[in-house]
Amino acid sequence: MNILVAIPLIPALVFFLFFLLPRATRTKMLFLPIGAMAVSLVLSLMAFSTVFPGAEKLAEHGAQFTSYTIGVIGGVPLNISLRLDALAALMLLVVTIVGMAVQVYSLSYMKGEERIGWYYAVLSLFTAAMLTLVLAGDFLLFYMSWEVMGLCSYLLIGFWNTNDEARRASIKAFLTTRVGDVGFAIGLAYMWATVGSFDIPTVLGSAHTWGPGVATAIALLLFFGAMGKSAQFPLHIWLPDAMAGPTPASALIHAATMVAAGVFLVARSLPIFEASGVALQVVLIIGATTALLAASMGSVQHDIKKVLAYSTISQLGFMFMGLGTGNVSAGMFHLFTHAFFKSLLFLGAGSIIHSLHTQDMREMGGVGKSMKVTTVTFTVGTLALSGIMPFSGFFSKDLILDHLWREGHYVIYSVALASAFLTAFYMARLWFRVFSGTPRKAGHAHESDMKILSPMIVLALLSVLAGATTLVFGEFLGSETEWPSLVMGGASTIVALSGIGLGWALFGNGRDPEAVRARASKVYMIVTNRFFLDLVAEQYIAGGYNRLSEKVNWFDKKVINGIVNGVGVACRQAGTQLRRLQAGRVQVYQRLVVAAVLVLVLVAVLATGV
Amino acid sequence: MTVGLPAFLLLAALLFSLGLYGVTSKKSAVMVLMSLELMANAVNINLVAFSRFLTPEKMTGQVFAMFMMVVAAAEIGLGLALVIALYRQTKTVELDHINELRG
Amino acid sequence: MSPTVALIPFAILGLLTLGCAAMMLFSRNVVHAAFWMLASMVSTAGLYLLLSAEFLALVQLLVYAGAVAVLVLFVVMLTLRRRADAVRPIDFSLPALALAVSFAALACFMVLSLVPAYPDSLPSVAPGVTELGLELFSTWVLPFELASLILLVALVGAVWWSGGVKRS
Repeated sequence: MNILVAIPLIPALVFFLFFLLPRATRTKMLFLPIGAMAVSLVLSLMAFSTVFPGAEKLAEHGAQFTSYTIGVIGGVPLNISLRLDALAALMLLVVTIVGMAVQVYSLSYMKGEERIGWYYAVLSLFTAAMLTLVLAGDFLLFYMSWEVMGLCSYLLIGFWNTNDEARRASIKAFLTTRVGDVGFAIGLAYMWATVGSFDIPTVLGSAHTWGPGVATAIALLLFFGAMGKSAQFPLHIWLPDAMAGPTPASALIHAATMVAAGVFLVARSLPIFEASGVALQVVLIIGATTALLAASMGSVQHDIKKVLAYSTISQLGFMFMGLGTGNVSAGMFHLFTHAFFKSLLFLGAGSIIHSLHTQDMREMGGVGKSMKVTTVTFTVGTLALSGIMPFSGFFSKDLILDHLWREGHYVIYSVALASAFLTAFYMARLWFRVFSGTPRKAGHAHESDMKILSPMIVLALLSVLAGATTLVFGEFLGSETEWPSLVMGGASTIVALSGIGLGWALFGNGRDPEAVRARASKVYMIVTNRFFLDLVAEQYIAGGYNRLSEKVNWFDKKVINGIVNGVGVACRQAGTQLRRLQAGRVQVYQRLVVAAVLVLVLVAVLATGV
Repeated sequence: MTVGLPAFLLLAALLFSLGLYGVTSKKSAVMVLMSLELMANAVNINLVAFSRFLTPEKMTGQVFAMFMMVVAAAEIGLGLALVIALYRQTKTVELDHINELRG
Repeated sequence: MSPTVALIPFAILGLLTLGCAAMMLFSRNVVHAAFWMLASMVSTAGLYLLLSAEFLALVQLLVYAGAVAVLVLFVVMLTLRRRADAVRPIDFSLPALALAVSFAALACFMVLSLVPAYPDSLPSVAPGVTELGLELFSTWVLPFELASLILLVALVGAVWWSGGVKRS
């Protein structure tokens, strides 16, 4: 059997096996999904090594390819095919590594859950779907696995299905991404009508012959799908709510699977976007808007996971900005590094939540003293996300900024820089609140066990080292990358450091402006000058900023959510009116059906011009 | 005086319309089922006429008509069983009184 | 000289079929309606004979005239508590009539305008029961067996639905 088929098939088979087994047996057989994941990881490494160093070898071997015909429609064979090229090989690694880490981690994190077997089954299917999507050689298979992922995210987010919040969140996630999927599906239909093929190389190869109008329409429809999956403004609303799911599942969704799929879709079909030109601008603008809005919303959250969720949305915005410059490696490199440090951050947050039994940062503090390993790895993740020099996030973010500057998108560049500042700020806010100071309400923290820590250590190492691959990465994907220039790198480092500095000024040493504000009577304020500066900072800088952020948050909740909900309300109203037709009288339905048939036949007759 | 294919088709169309009227207007479930049989019958006439006039050797139309009869027989059997089951539950065969589908 | 369908027998049988169907729809008594349906089915069998489909005519008599009509009568009997319940309003409905009329108009229009002009003469070959049997049990043997399976399932289903309610 072809190695390409085996990579996604093995985890998928585990899912089907678990689907059939009774619950008790599943719980005893958790080694199976982990083993399957390990096999997939090894196979992915092998697949990667066959295409590795770069384009020459790929051209020599040709992209590896397997194809199956699943049906013939109107004389045209409908193929699904698997295809290994540089982009796919790279994503294979990301998905299997993060998937493996999450599965090992979950052994301890989800221990004692009654439905742990089902959890592992869905996790396997999720990974399998993402692997299929990555390997898909045609848009049909791409779309199928895309939808399977939607289902899996629904199942995972709603894993604790007795919890009302989780149930709602899962439905919200499913429906919101479906809205995007509709766009994607229409785009695919349009694509079929234009090219008559779903085969990715064929479609991309002919993209420049479509004419700008068609290319723009198809690109935007595809991007609409990507916006849903990758939580881009205004379809980002599902992602923060999705935090109701188990933390390791969030790590998987945020780093390697679900949200990465949207970025991957755009990266895959970038030639269509380039053929359009306008679509690239849209990607840039949406990415920039999302990055800035999500970053500012992330800085007013109190739930540690929500901060990370908004951070993901914001970073996805960065990736889209990178792709919006028309450069695959700019977006994909950030996806690559982000996968490692964001899953690391989620796993770290999970470790903290596991030990403190709260997600509220206001109740945390002083964790640094008791959870050494978690602290070190989480710090690595924080620095990588903030974009501090030797860590991977610095290189990938800088690549995007660099491209934005060079392509002359100065406004977008400044927005990106502002987002980078906010990123550093909210991560510093999170770090100081959780790790420094003294323990607050939540009980004393204790370090987690090795099953939780070892994946985090591995991911931390990768987060540090991934930056070193900057040059190799670009060469591998066939587009040039350079080390950050001194000016660019300097600028972004200064921005990141000042973000962290502001975070330290407001939240360092266990300070907590909100607590201060609560206690501060006038007298207290006058007597203790020591806090005066803090209060100024808090009132005028942080306060104003907080208010702004809350405004943005309000805008997001009311206006954006309002529009989305408004569509729902409109549908419900229409339903209430239409309900009168549904009086339960079968013959009324029957008459409607017959009348509709009559109209259709009449149209058909008139259309044939008899 | 002879008649051709269109005559049979017209006859079938009229019979079908009669059945259609019955299905959409009758309030008794039994009457509705009987009207359905009329419609099936009209279709059968079409099939047989086409078969005789156009492809007599293959007899596809006749074979299809036979299968239609099988399906129609199964349908009326099940339909009447449903009527009886409904009658047990609701003591009525009036379709207007059965509105479980109300939205 | 190839065979043709004579107008007079066709007109008689066709009018009988349609007339009986109409009478079925406009009779007040359900039992009478069932008998009108029976008559309509028998005339249809006559039409099959005109089309030299002898076997089908026989099946039509057996299935519709025999089985279906009896079944309908049984159900009418089972669902009527009093003799008077059999008599019911005609259930005239204007929308249904409009639909049916427009359907008939559309169908007739399509028949008259879309069906190309064929000669009235029938093809001279008129395969008989033997050929039908051979065809049915060679080309169509698998669908035929499936049909028997469908009937069996329908039989079991009908017994299941109409059978006894659990008395708990």
